[in-house]
Amino acid sequence: MPVVLTVDPRSGVPIYLQVIEQVKRSVALGVLAAGEQLPTVKQLALDLTINPNTVAKAYRELERDGVIETSPGRGSFVKSNGVADSTKAAATDVARDALEAAVREAKSIGLSADDIRNLAHAAIDRWFREAK
Amino acid sequence: MSTITIQHLRKTYGAYTAVDDLTLTIPEGCVFGLLGPNGAGKSTTFKCMLGLAFPTAGTVTYDGTALEPSTFERIAYVPEKSVLYDWMTVAEHVEMQRRAFKKFNVARANELLAQFNIDTRKKARALSKGMKTATMVALAIAREADTLILDEPTSGLDPINQRHVLNLIINESARGASIVFSSHQIGQVERAAERIAVIDRGRLVLEGAVDDLKADRKIVEGIFPDESYALDGIANDPRIARVDRSGRIVRLLTTDGAADFVHKVEAMGASGVRIVDLNLEDIFLYAVSPNDATADVVEGVTA
Repeated sequence: MPVVLTVDPRSGVPIYLQVIEQVKRSVALGVLAAGEQLPTVKQLALDLTINPNTVAKAYRELERDGVIETSPGRGSFVKSNGVADSTKAAATDVARDALEAAVREAKSIGLSADDIRNLAHAAIDRWFREAK
Repeated sequence: MSTITIQHLRKTYGAYTAVDDLTLTIPEGCVFGLLGPNGAGKSTTFKCMLGLAFPTAGTVTYDGTALEPSTFERIAYVPEKSVLYDWMTVAEHVEMQRRAFKKFNVARANELLAQFNIDTRKKARALSKGMKTATMVALAIAREADTLILDEPTSGLDPINQRHVLNLIINESARGASIVFSSHQIGQVERAAERIAVIDRGRLVLEGAVDDLKADRKIVEGIFPDESYALDGIANDPRIARVDRSGRIVRLLTTDGAADFVHKVEAMGASGVRIVDLNLEDIFLYAVSPNDATADVVEGVTA
């Protein structure tokens, strides 16, 4: 299976959080399908040249979040039960982080809550135009 | 596999104190990065861990047991400077290791040397600095030891071989070995290490899991309307590791609860308040530079 994950170890964002975000994004986009096997902890650590315990920590959190399931001796798999739910949840997590960062940035440069709401509505209108 | 415990380690050479009251625990199966400026005491710490230097005070234990001859079979070491014999070929070094260590895996050694493109018929004197490092790393990995102590295991290597050494470290860790390594290339420690310690002038100044340090340590930056702002109640907060003031701009190094301080600084009248993530190099530089004196240097790095 090709590795679809990339991390930037030199960023200030903890590496395990980057792995979690990448797996959730891949699930949300369908790049990782329901039931698909993830690389083993060791394999992903070697592919990305990152610490194996860091990968293991990311996998544990993904399992707790209901995105993947791990069966001892077989490996980790994208959860197949209720994959629609976990896909939606994964997409929501990714989008929430991006929106939080954008709102924080807008607030820090002096925009009011109403200013930011107006910007958000305008952006939604623009990107969902075809759907109307 | 072993847990390494260093307690109140002190090593002096005459009037010079190389290591000063160092206490550290390296958990079993952990890749542990030891960082510090030149002369901080990293190599001396390694030598005390290996019994190559006798501690002035304090102890080093492996699973609670002090170093004894049988421990050496379980520890492999790559020193900072080459200890290869100039007049011996690489193949002769392999043979010497085989005779010295029961568990030494000759096939694995030759496989690793081939991966580094090292001609084992060459005498050590004909090897470049990087190839000497690679040879020592290959010989150490082939020991199949419980514990690896690697002092600058990538020095002199090109980027491809540096990456290869990191993957060997990761592979050994996945096998369960405990690994302590130092490198001046912080990006390598950032990749391979789960935990780090920073030592400066022989003393421990910071220790923790790399990801925890990144999650907790942030810069909160804000701009005040004029330079005469007071930081009542913030500057003394134990979660603030340092305060850098530069004109109307303040930068707080928080060790916990950055979001909390965003609100506090905003309530004091600052605008443009933001949280800046720190990578391991930033965290390292803050840890080894005293407050204020070198603020400009550090600012240059985090800007």
